[in-house]
Amino acid sequence: MKAGLRITLDKIFTVVAGASVVCLCLVLVGVLGPMLWRGGSAVVFKGTVEFRRMQLTLFSRGNEDKIAAEVKQAEIARAKVYSEIEKFKAGIDAQTLTEKARQIYRQFGNDLRQVNTSAGEVTELRSVTRQIRDRLESAFASSNAAEVNESLAYVLSFKNDSRFKNTSAAGLIELAEQYRNAIHGVNLAERQRYYQEIRQVEDILVELLGPAPGAQTPALMMNRFGATRWDLAQKLLGRLLWYEEWTKQGPEQPMVRRLTPRSQRFAGTEIEGLFTYIQQNLPEMLKPKTTIYWQYFIDDSTPGHYFGGVGPEILGTLLLTLLAMLFVVPFGVISAAYLVECASDNLAIRLIRMSINTLAGVPSIVFGLFGLAFFVLFFLPIFGAPSKGCILAASMTLAVLTLPVMIRSSEEAIRAVPHAYKEASLALGASRFRTFVKVTLPAALPGILTGVILSLSRVAGETAPVLFTGAVALGPVPKSIFDPTRTLSYGSYDMAVGDKLAAMVPHNQFGMVVTLVLLILCLNTAAIVLRSKVFKKLAGH
Amino acid sequence: MMLAVTSVVRAEKLQIDGSTTVGPIADAFAEYFMRTNPGLEITVKKTGSGDGAAALIDSRCDIATMSRFMKDKEFKSAVDHNVLPVAHAIAMDGVCIIVHPSNTVTAMTSAQVRDIYKGKIKNWKEISGPDAEIVIVSRDTSSGTYETFHEKVMNKEEMAKNVEYVNSNPQAHARVKTTAGAISYVGIGFVDADVKALKIDGIQPTKETIVNGTYPVARPLFLFTNGYPKLGSMVYKFCTFYLTEKGQEIIEAKGFVPVTKY
Amino acid sequence: MLESSTIKAKQGTLKDTLVPAADSYRPLVLTPTEDIKGFLTLHLGRSLLFAITCTSVLAVFLIFLFVIREALPFLAKFSISEFLTSTEWYPEATNPKFGTFAILAGSGYVTIVSIIFAVPVGILAAVFLSDIVSMKIRNIIKPIIEILAAIPSVAYGFFAVMVFAPWMQQKFGFSTGTNALNASLVLGVMALPTIISVSEDSISAIGRELREASYSCGATRMETIFKVVIPAAHSGIIAAIVLGMMRAIGETMVVWMASGNAAQIPHPWWDLSQSVRTLTATIAGDMGETEKGSPHYRALFAAGLLLLVITLCLNLISEYFLIRAKRAGGKH
Repeated sequence: MKAGLRITLDKIFTVVAGASVVCLCLVLVGVLGPMLWRGGSAVVFKGTVEFRRMQLTLFSRGNEDKIAAEVKQAEIARAKVYSEIEKFKAGIDAQTLTEKARQIYRQFGNDLRQVNTSAGEVTELRSVTRQIRDRLESAFASSNAAEVNESLAYVLSFKNDSRFKNTSAAGLIELAEQYRNAIHGVNLAERQRYYQEIRQVEDILVELLGPAPGAQTPALMMNRFGATRWDLAQKLLGRLLWYEEWTKQGPEQPMVRRLTPRSQRFAGTEIEGLFTYIQQNLPEMLKPKTTIYWQYFIDDSTPGHYFGGVGPEILGTLLLTLLAMLFVVPFGVISAAYLVECASDNLAIRLIRMSINTLAGVPSIVFGLFGLAFFVLFFLPIFGAPSKGCILAASMTLAVLTLPVMIRSSEEAIRAVPHAYKEASLALGASRFRTFVKVTLPAALPGILTGVILSLSRVAGETAPVLFTGAVALGPVPKSIFDPTRTLSYGSYDMAVGDKLAAMVPHNQFGMVVTLVLLILCLNTAAIVLRSKVFKKLAGH
Repeated sequence: MMLAVTSVVRAEKLQIDGSTTVGPIADAFAEYFMRTNPGLEITVKKTGSGDGAAALIDSRCDIATMSRFMKDKEFKSAVDHNVLPVAHAIAMDGVCIIVHPSNTVTAMTSAQVRDIYKGKIKNWKEISGPDAEIVIVSRDTSSGTYETFHEKVMNKEEMAKNVEYVNSNPQAHARVKTTAGAISYVGIGFVDADVKALKIDGIQPTKETIVNGTYPVARPLFLFTNGYPKLGSMVYKFCTFYLTEKGQEIIEAKGFVPVTKY
Repeated sequence: MLESSTIKAKQGTLKDTLVPAADSYRPLVLTPTEDIKGFLTLHLGRSLLFAITCTSVLAVFLIFLFVIREALPFLAKFSISEFLTSTEWYPEATNPKFGTFAILAGSGYVTIVSIIFAVPVGILAAVFLSDIVSMKIRNIIKPIIEILAAIPSVAYGFFAVMVFAPWMQQKFGFSTGTNALNASLVLGVMALPTIISVSEDSISAIGRELREASYSCGATRMETIFKVVIPAAHSGIIAAIVLGMMRAIGETMVVWMASGNAAQIPHPWWDLSQSVRTLTATIAGDMGETEKGSPHYRALFAAGLLLLVITLCLNLISEYFLIRAKRAGGKH
């Protein structure tokens, strides 16, 4: 091959190798980037007045008076929306109107019995009122504009009749007038469609602004508040302003989504302009403000993580990992010390090293099976504890999982201590045990600590071993080590695939996994920094 | 019948295991109970009706939520372990066949559903739908929803090999929502604007058709306890909550059909 | 000489006999009988430490014991050949069938594809770090690899199912975003740090002499690396690949969330956009719902035993190659 070609190939190779590392960095950014971004919005976001109300009710946080004032302001802006919709509904909801008419008729009938009127007059009044009621009902039910107007005209002709003034029957006439105003411009044939679509609009409004004023307080906490975040509100606003429809394209073609503005759907009616009003005044109705919800890390959450934070999960993870460390550090450091100081290359030591390597290679799910079979079903009952998943079993499983890591890193740390230290101590007459405890161990301590932090970070992220030994997706904060607990790792899994409610709050889904990743990254960064300091110190000699 | 709200002084615990279909109802009841009885702790696990039965038999839970009745061998096993299962039917549900909203198909016969799940029909265009491969999603085998589907629609025949298994109703819903060619089945409480429920044998699953039994795949949802719960105990209150106004409001809010009208 | 001073020491107190240092013999190490406490502490202490060190052996022994104990009744009742070769996995049917071939194929499938993605990138990166860049840049890139290694598997699984799957479905129009390709790519990313660090260690362990000899013959850097360095470090690199395979095959969360869990062998076999199921996902997914002690439960333990045996073999293979690498490196 010519020299020039070889040199070019060499340059290409360098670029390709560099590209692979760049590829690595891109992968890292690509994996962490979207998650950190979307998870970050769980803590920093634009919160609405509904959010502040929710914080006040659920966590007793916030200035009650200020929030009450804000709520009042918001209500003023919202009032118009509710009243317009009520008016519109009054015009088209035939059933309710008919009910009302009947009620008024019955009331009038009762009233007549109280007043002193002659029997003949009573019968006459009642029959006239009955006619009015019937014509009114036919007006409500009919979709023929001419018919409706005729019936209404008949009813309204009694407006100035002295017999009905100041009686409950006047209510019938009022209804007629209201109806006439309401259906002015309403295409009566479309009434059924209007009725269905206004119900859709009302449902979205409930999600957006919370229960309508005067409605019953819902039983479920999540339905008591409107949109707590501005981005959620924007999404709901989109659903409110646009009507979604799936239309056929052609044979063997899937349907496509078509969006029409809702104001078009209600064209010609009184509420056509309502939608622009809502769009323009939404900030006034919800009062969004940039919120830093740092309590996300300590708050408990409502079922499904709809509201609230990941406090118990963090607590569970910390409990599990610290307890596991408590079990594994003595065993790990002592084993490493023995292997470095007292071990000779005989069969027993080779067997031990082989076991450590085997342990390091066992998959995490097999540790889960082992934890279930041994710790939960065999070990715990020996001590009289109930044989179910709990923090104790899970942390013991995690301790066994991380034993080889601990032994290897401690061994490395102890071997890294320069021989000079040990020899100097022995030369001064100290016994080997004293030398180890007073000289080698303190010198190796930073390295061992690095190993501990790395083990901690590995254990915090493990899910498979705790699946059947101690983790639950939903449960109270544990009271003792014999209770199961929620953890960040299992919680992340559950939020991603388990829960329907979770899909409605993606910021909480990402928030939980980001909390886990940040926790582990902090631990790892601490370990890296510590290790470079140790390296510098020991390399100096 | 209004539930009397009492506050319990000592910390009482209630363990509820079982179905992912009944899960949302159990969660909501639990939330309500924990709010009105401070000091009460309720843990709800949702991994499948089969697990609920197993937990009740092992006495690992107080109440088992199941979206199907107990099988023969579960009953026998329970009696062998000195557990007498008592069923409380708290709501009605219909197993709805769901597809993506862009799918032109709106109705199928149960024979067609069976053939799809057995792998005989592989493309939507074979049943006058769009030209797309059918992605079959099923619940895993410990699910009560699976059992009902398997019994009433599949006539207990085996499904095809390329069926994707998911562990819960929300997962099945999520798969159909994001995959245009997918078909799956969920409880009616999980049908919303993001998926489309099909008419089966001409009947659309709605509250009315479920209650009057015309929808072919309707079923009650159960709470199982060990014996009838002691009157006045927390378990008793939980198991009879569905008869109250608040309970039925919650059941309706979750999309299921209450058994009675309050 | 020895006896006289010992006799003198025994006859009189040492205090009032000033004995010249050169004449006397005072042993530095006391015999056991003279220092029973010291002797006992030393040997009991050593034995205690030895016992504590043996916990790792105990742990391995217990793992095997308990997994086999739970799996044995199943293996005794059902035929092992059917377990390994049948593709029908219907554990909860009225006639349960426990054939794990499709599931094993799924595990093998995602492992091999992930290695195909990870090995070229990994070895190139290892070569880049050890041969091409300066120490300073290397110390900047190393932490990036460590961060990749530190991200927990559930976070990768979350990414795979929430971010990657929808993106893949949109971009490529697959019928399903949770499929073998998704799981393999993410597993490849997870195996990369292992492959890079072990390969890099073994490549760096090759001494300068070999490289200098090659350069002095006029070879370019690329030729040196491909024709001299990599062949010299081949044992270590093979060990790295085997370790990466071990990581991929033993991984649970990513495959459980992102592979679709269909117990099938894709039709046609090269179609990566179909769903598969792995051994680890089967164990994790089914265990929560099975009754303790039922045949399904025991079958899952048998599957766990299978997994354990496979990873153990891979472990032994990688150990063998690592020892060979050390021996080869020691020669220079």
